[in-house]
Amino acid sequence: MSSDLSQGPTEADSSTPDSAAAGVTAPLSGTLRAKPTAGWALMGSELSVLFRRRRTWVMLIALAAIPILIAVAVRISSAGSTPGRGPAFLSQITNNGLFVGLVALIICIPLFLPLTIGVVAGDTIAGEASSGTLRYLLVAPVGRGRLLLVKFVAAVAFVIAGTLVIVIAGALIGAALFPVGPVTLLSGDTVSLGEAGVRGLLIAAYVIVSLLGLTAIGLFISTLTDIPVGAMAATVVISIIAQVLDSLPQLDWLHPWLFSHYWLNFADLLRQPIDWSSFGSNALLQLAYVAVFGALAYGRFSTKDVLS
Amino acid sequence: MSSNSVSSSKWKRWVPAAVIPVVIAGVAIAVPLSANATDSLPTKSPQDVLAMIGNSTVTAFSGTVEQTANLGLPELPAGVSASSLGAGSGSSSTPSPSGSASTSGSAGSGGSAGSGGSASTDSSAATVSSALEMLTGTHTARVYVDGPTNQRVQVLDQMAETDVVRGGNDVWLYDSAQQTAVHTTLPAKSDAGSAPDATQPGATVQTPEQLAQKFLDAVDPTTNVSVGGDVTVAGRSAYDLILTPQATDTLVGSVSIAVDSATGLPLQVNVTARGAADTAFTTGFTSLSLDTPSADLFSFTPPAGTTVTEKTLPTEPSGTGATPGSAPADAQKPIVTGSGWDAIVELPAGADSASLTSSPLLGELTSPVDGGHVLTTTLVNVLVTDDGRVFAGSVSADQLQAAAAAAAK
Repeated sequence: MSSDLSQGPTEADSSTPDSAAAGVTAPLSGTLRAKPTAGWALMGSELSVLFRRRRTWVMLIALAAIPILIAVAVRISSAGSTPGRGPAFLSQITNNGLFVGLVALIICIPLFLPLTIGVVAGDTIAGEASSGTLRYLLVAPVGRGRLLLVKFVAAVAFVIAGTLVIVIAGALIGAALFPVGPVTLLSGDTVSLGEAGVRGLLIAAYVIVSLLGLTAIGLFISTLTDIPVGAMAATVVISIIAQVLDSLPQLDWLHPWLFSHYWLNFADLLRQPIDWSSFGSNALLQLAYVAVFGALAYGRFSTKDVLS
Repeated sequence: MSSNSVSSSKWKRWVPAAVIPVVIAGVAIAVPLSANATDSLPTKSPQDVLAMIGNSTVTAFSGTVEQTANLGLPELPAGVSASSLGAGSGSSSTPSPSGSASTSGSAGSGGSAGSGGSASTDSSAATVSSALEMLTGTHTARVYVDGPTNQRVQVLDQMAETDVVRGGNDVWLYDSAQQTAVHTTLPAKSDAGSAPDATQPGATVQTPEQLAQKFLDAVDPTTNVSVGGDVTVAGRSAYDLILTPQATDTLVGSVSIAVDSATGLPLQVNVTARGAADTAFTTGFTSLSLDTPSADLFSFTPPAGTTVTEKTLPTEPSGTGATPGSAPADAQKPIVTGSGWDAIVELPAGADSASLTSSPLLGELTSPVDGGHVLTTTLVNVLVTDDGRVFAGSVSADQLQAAAAAAAK
């Protein structure tokens, strides 16, 4: 490998001192066998880098702003909302503030969540490559496969954080502005606050699982390029294309294979009894996407000449 | 390192990327195949299979039913509900006198009119559009049955659900999207089916056993009954009973009913139009459990914030809270002429017929003929006469017009 120092570490993102430092202090013998402890240390440093980035915080705040906007808009509008108009559950907010988080999820899933995931997942490898820190990561005694895994787990951590931020911000603002009480399910049955909380967490879990496939796709695209913006945009575009294809009835046969197909089916967890079939199908589908694109990312990344 | 070993080790890194899709494709193909692998059932005559249905003792079950209609109607965009089609339920802009709840009370049952079943007595535009919605595309419902008086059907839509709950003599219809509920109390001695419309939990989605019963009722000496190859429905092996009407004036080409080999319960019904290769209408279980469903599924309390409408049965002589604007009950009983496959159901002119004929949706879908408008599908034709009468049947439009002319005399 030639050492092309034109893109030196001077360009390194100032918010990634940990990874750069880890690279510099690690022994400069990349052939060492990967140690498990090094993997965990890398994991910790990766997570702390991710969640100390100003960009991450801006995205999480933007996600939290959506339920707040919805709640405030519903609160200050004098006209009562008509059932059946607008996003599902919107008309229920005035009766029960807990629905704010649900409406926010419905609004965020098609665009906002994929957008933020595209930014994080597209940045994983390409961001390090463009800032010149990838080489230093690779000289640490951590195999490329493990580095890829660490990057994926960090991106998934952001997915979890983003989803929980929406749900929790929605619940808090809903409780602040509207009455909170037992929740009416889609089947017309009413469940207590405790069970409603459990179902809310199940829905958050469903949404997190739903987005794993897209995260893996973003990771793979990120290994293809050294330009993070390109990887981010491509990931977002793919999520939009998948949703467009999913809305074309002529492509019926393709729909069950699209990673976005089950995105909005989390309402099946609000039926009585719970309909687990979409949860199961969704989990299997996302697992398949993670396996396929994880393997592709590994194939690409482990054979890639890292020049910067 | 020689370049050879480098390239071979590089090659190996791509092995997972090549193997995993193959494994996934293999699993995706093998699992449905193994589910369909069925031991061949002992051969039975059509009479034996018919007797199996008659002797079926299944009274309690739960399952998921999927209904797919491909009747040649334009598919309504997914997620478009009856109200947003301008048919008017719930929204204040519609001056329909019968309101949202009562009209959706019989939603969809108009779709069964062609098979000689329970025709709707409430023919408002909302009913028409929701009936049309059920006649296009794919719908999924969960069905819970415990005896003849405890039934629950949940029609599952994305982010919404319509429930029909019958527990004893109380029948509730709940629409989560509109947040409305309709309550009907059946007369105490209603087991004889004095109110078939309300007691039918499948007013919105036809369950396989209900639809199968309707077709079996149509079996006459001219119907050719045979048993096809073994089929697998919802993981259960089943006999395939094939009904082929010999009557030449019906649109129904053949009906195949999958009958569970263990219990005799009809699991799936496929209807093919005459001369067509593809199935026009199919309803079948995708999962089935013969365990008794939990009892609290059959009791329903309308949740807070729901608009509740009390609906009295049309057969009851007097009642409170009757739908304003609806005609006397006895004037609305459907008249069935003919029998079997080419039966024609007639709905007399009702108070809502003006909104029916002026519905823009109906105008889009029907074509004008002499004396009215005809809605043409591959299986069922519906004639709406200019004076508001409705004729439906699995016969040609000409026959409907003839029936309308005969009835007018």
